[in-house]
Amino acid sequence: MTRVLVVDDERTLLRALGVHLRARGYEADLVETGEAALSRGATGSYDAAIVDLGLPGIDGIDVVNGLRGWTSIPIIVLSARHEHAQKVEALDAGADDYVTKPFNMEELLARLRAALRRTTPEPAPVAMVATPDFRIDLVTKRVTDGAGTEIRLTPTQWHLVEILVRNPGRLVSQRQLLHEVWGPTYVDQTNYLRQFMAQLRRKLEPDPARPRYFLTEAGMGIRFVPDRLADVTP
Amino acid sequence: MARGRYRVYLGSAPGVGKTFAMLDEGWRRKARGTDVVVGLVVTHGRPKTMAQIRDLEIVAPRQVEYRGGVWQEMDVEAIVARRPEVVLVDELAHTNVPGSRHEKRWQDIEELLAAGIEVISTVNIQHLESVNDVVNQITGVVQHETVPDVAVRRADQIELVDMSAEALRRRMAHGNVYPPEKVDAALGHYFRVGNLAALRELALLWVADRVEDSLQAYMADHGISRSWETRERVLVAITGGPGGDRLIRRAARIAGRSGGDVLGVHVVTSDGLSRNSSGLLERHRAVLEEVGGSFHEVAGSDVSSALVGFATAHHATQLVLGTSGRSRWAEWTRGSVINSVIRESRGIDVHVISTDEQAPAVAPRSWRLPIGSSHSVRRVVLGFLVAALSLGILIPLLARYSALRPHHPGPITSSAGFLVYLGVVVVVAAIGGVLPGFVTAFAAAAAVDWYLIPPYGSFAIARGADTVYLAAFVISAAAVSLIVEQAARRRVEVIRSRDEADAVRALADRLAAPNRPHAVLEEIQAVLGRQSVTLLAPAGEAWLTEATVHTAAPGALVGGGDPTGPGGPVRRPEDGEAFALRDGRVLVLQGPALTTHDHRLAAALVSYLEAVLAADRLQTQAATADLLSQGNDLRTALLEAVSHDLRTPLASIRALTTGWLAPDIQLSEALTQDSMAAIDLEAQRLSALVDNLLDMSRLQAGALNLILRPVGLDEVVPAALASLSQDCQNVVVDVPETLPRLNVDAALLERAIANVVHNAVRHSPPQHPVHLGAGTVAGRVYLRVVDRGPGVPLAQRGLMFQPFQRLGDVSSGTGVGLGLAVAHGFVEALGGEISVEDTPGGGLSMVISLPAHHDESAVDLDQLAAIERAPVR
Repeated sequence: MTRVLVVDDERTLLRALGVHLRARGYEADLVETGEAALSRGATGSYDAAIVDLGLPGIDGIDVVNGLRGWTSIPIIVLSARHEHAQKVEALDAGADDYVTKPFNMEELLARLRAALRRTTPEPAPVAMVATPDFRIDLVTKRVTDGAGTEIRLTPTQWHLVEILVRNPGRLVSQRQLLHEVWGPTYVDQTNYLRQFMAQLRRKLEPDPARPRYFLTEAGMGIRFVPDRLADVTP
Repeated sequence: MARGRYRVYLGSAPGVGKTFAMLDEGWRRKARGTDVVVGLVVTHGRPKTMAQIRDLEIVAPRQVEYRGGVWQEMDVEAIVARRPEVVLVDELAHTNVPGSRHEKRWQDIEELLAAGIEVISTVNIQHLESVNDVVNQITGVVQHETVPDVAVRRADQIELVDMSAEALRRRMAHGNVYPPEKVDAALGHYFRVGNLAALRELALLWVADRVEDSLQAYMADHGISRSWETRERVLVAITGGPGGDRLIRRAARIAGRSGGDVLGVHVVTSDGLSRNSSGLLERHRAVLEEVGGSFHEVAGSDVSSALVGFATAHHATQLVLGTSGRSRWAEWTRGSVINSVIRESRGIDVHVISTDEQAPAVAPRSWRLPIGSSHSVRRVVLGFLVAALSLGILIPLLARYSALRPHHPGPITSSAGFLVYLGVVVVVAAIGGVLPGFVTAFAAAAAVDWYLIPPYGSFAIARGADTVYLAAFVISAAAVSLIVEQAARRRVEVIRSRDEADAVRALADRLAAPNRPHAVLEEIQAVLGRQSVTLLAPAGEAWLTEATVHTAAPGALVGGGDPTGPGGPVRRPEDGEAFALRDGRVLVLQGPALTTHDHRLAAALVSYLEAVLAADRLQTQAATADLLSQGNDLRTALLEAVSHDLRTPLASIRALTTGWLAPDIQLSEALTQDSMAAIDLEAQRLSALVDNLLDMSRLQAGALNLILRPVGLDEVVPAALASLSQDCQNVVVDVPETLPRLNVDAALLERAIANVVHNAVRHSPPQHPVHLGAGTVAGRVYLRVVDRGPGVPLAQRGLMFQPFQRLGDVSSGTGVGLGLAVAHGFVEALGGEISVEDTPGGGLSMVISLPAHHDESAVDLDQLAAIERAPVR
């Protein structure tokens, strides 16, 4: 069974998280302070952690730092909206993803699943990604629209799509995309990324001005959201 | 064949009514029986313009195919063949589709004119070649369709179609100029009041210049060199002496009244002696450029004729000179420039302006005058010295020529001696005052008695008459000394009272200064010539320096009340004179001893300082009270609004949950789902409200922690829309990704945009989606959020961005009226602006503008293609 460590100082929220995690078949370990989280993290073996940023005592970022000291399990941080700066800091410290409070439980669980996929590769890698608007065949490298007509992508566009759809639901950072597609000297050329994403959206999104699959989180990265979560706001 | 007449309607901006005016004239002439046809008219789909064509005959335009499209161009051949008397041709700056007869439409017009047909045409000022760069500067829009000025100047008649900026904007708002979806960033920027006013001025000047052109031609033809007063040209003579900047500003004001030019002239005399090296000339040059004048340097042997020559050559109408910098002596020997200029300049008004510079008030002024009421010790000693010297010279002379030598009776009689000595006494009294005067008088009497009154060589007096003479001499010498002394005293008093009056006037001037108590201290320091003036406040046993002014650094150091700071506790200085103020503070003056007069003045100044301090205190109290009452109002408004807006969703949630928890009722699955969804919606509302409250308090506390990164609007806008609830999605987005990026905090901008869009959607009728458009003009990126709602009256727009305002919206929606206040605060924190405009045809457009990142320009698509072709991997 997948064990999840949850740290939050609000008891009601903690209880709600516990109920829903267990209902989805996770084993949830609930603690209220950063200190307790670190000591539990050191003793128990967990598969993922959900960490609230605004904790009394040692704060969430220190918890992320502490956990990263000995483990590479997926970490999702919970942040209030005014903690934007800390959120960025937590991502830099090694958190995998974030969810802004107040959040949608479905969304949090989807993020958790996406993050867990990173560490436990599925036995057969994804060969096909299908949405109502397009199908991407990762084996034959073919993209077709809803009606089955082929959509032609340039090599760079294909490269981008491939990285994003292989990480469904996960926030892929700008640096990672630039590094993998263009190379290490281009990691600051975020403008390239912006232009190519716009081209991609024109080819794949039903309404490119209001994307539902390839979502840019300005200044952070891009997330490919399969259809089921398209109406869920980050 | 005679060339046709040519008439042009010149407009200051699109939409002022050129085409309308052209059609109107065509129709009137047709009504009078002239054969008028329409060669080409561009109505821009404006119904009122189309109606204006009425029954005018239209020569069918030529259809030209180009790049797969069909274009309509004026059919010149058909018009020439038709041979009307008058043809109307709109937009003469238009560029024809390649493959046409001529490249530009104005060339078509030339052909029509050559064929003897009268042409009436239209053009906008921004299309004229000569003003192209200026228009670009004003509007930030590059005009590609330009027409050489001569093509328009050639017209027999140019008529300006003019409209005030406000009126034109009203026409825009009514949708008479452009349909709303056509108004993008560039156009919105173009039609700002400031731009329109500038364009209008440009058009007026261009037409005015044309009037000047013909005038100049006339003057040259008739050999007229006298200046004609078409436009005021004010010439100001600059010497590089003090007071010159005042002169220049004055000239600028004279010119400004009539919208004229200012020319500054500096005459370099050929002897090279008057070359000014003080650096003031450079400053004057800068001042001149500041007021929009031009600087000229003229060489000439004679200043006045050089000035007048320049004035005549440049058609100056007014000449501004400063009062003479020459001394009386120089004026007498070398003549007065002012007088000769006035003599030589016929037809030019000459203004002579006083350049008397007031001595700067802070400069310490000496109160030690040439002659003191009691002469200074130095002067008394000097008086004695003069007395001793003159007596020392005169007594041996007397001895030599006096009757003391029996065989050579001298030529000097006693009366001559008296006269000589009286002169000496007057001089001595004038220099040293009454005491040296008296002493000299007695010494002189003794000398005359010894040498000139028989018996000689003794102080005895033989004749009774001599005694009388001697007594009369002493009395009159003493009287003269006294009178001279008194006259000197009067003069000192006169000068002193004038200086006191000056001091009071300077004080009155300083009342306007923001830091009034400090200004008064400076004034006291200056007037009384003190080394330092310090205001001390009692703090227990010690004293705190509240403010101090030194000779070395006037206006230095204003210490606070912090006893550990640099203005910390000090001992009350022992030296210097202290004046106690009524409120317990003490003013300490340090410097040379004060005279009684200075004391009197000092006392007056101190009571004045007291008054200013008291007034200042009262003002501060009043301001604080005001602020407090405002704060109270705001708090009350906040509490009312927040409690209302918090309670509404809470009430729904409570009602739903208690109903669901009620033991006696089992709700169906579907109803449970419904109530849960409703609770979720209300919770979202609450969350949005709390977000706004939090943002507002962060803004007010100045606690924004910005993370600036370059992002594109195309990245932020979708995120902003995604954060809005489902009922706020009636939005059409047109934000190209080719726009320059912005260096902003994406999260804040997202919030700002979301709030503005939310507000727009809330006020827009459902059948009209809110339109989001973006563009870039002159280094800034503009996002327009256009709604077709009821709009907001002009008078209330200032209130829109204040917290707790809900204009024209009674139902609460999700906001306590914080949304726009937060958006406004965030956009400003990011270095941008939010402005409000009317949507053409009704509604409100909010425009968020932000500077482009590093002045990034729009993305070059070719360059992108190159990146695509050669990926690094």
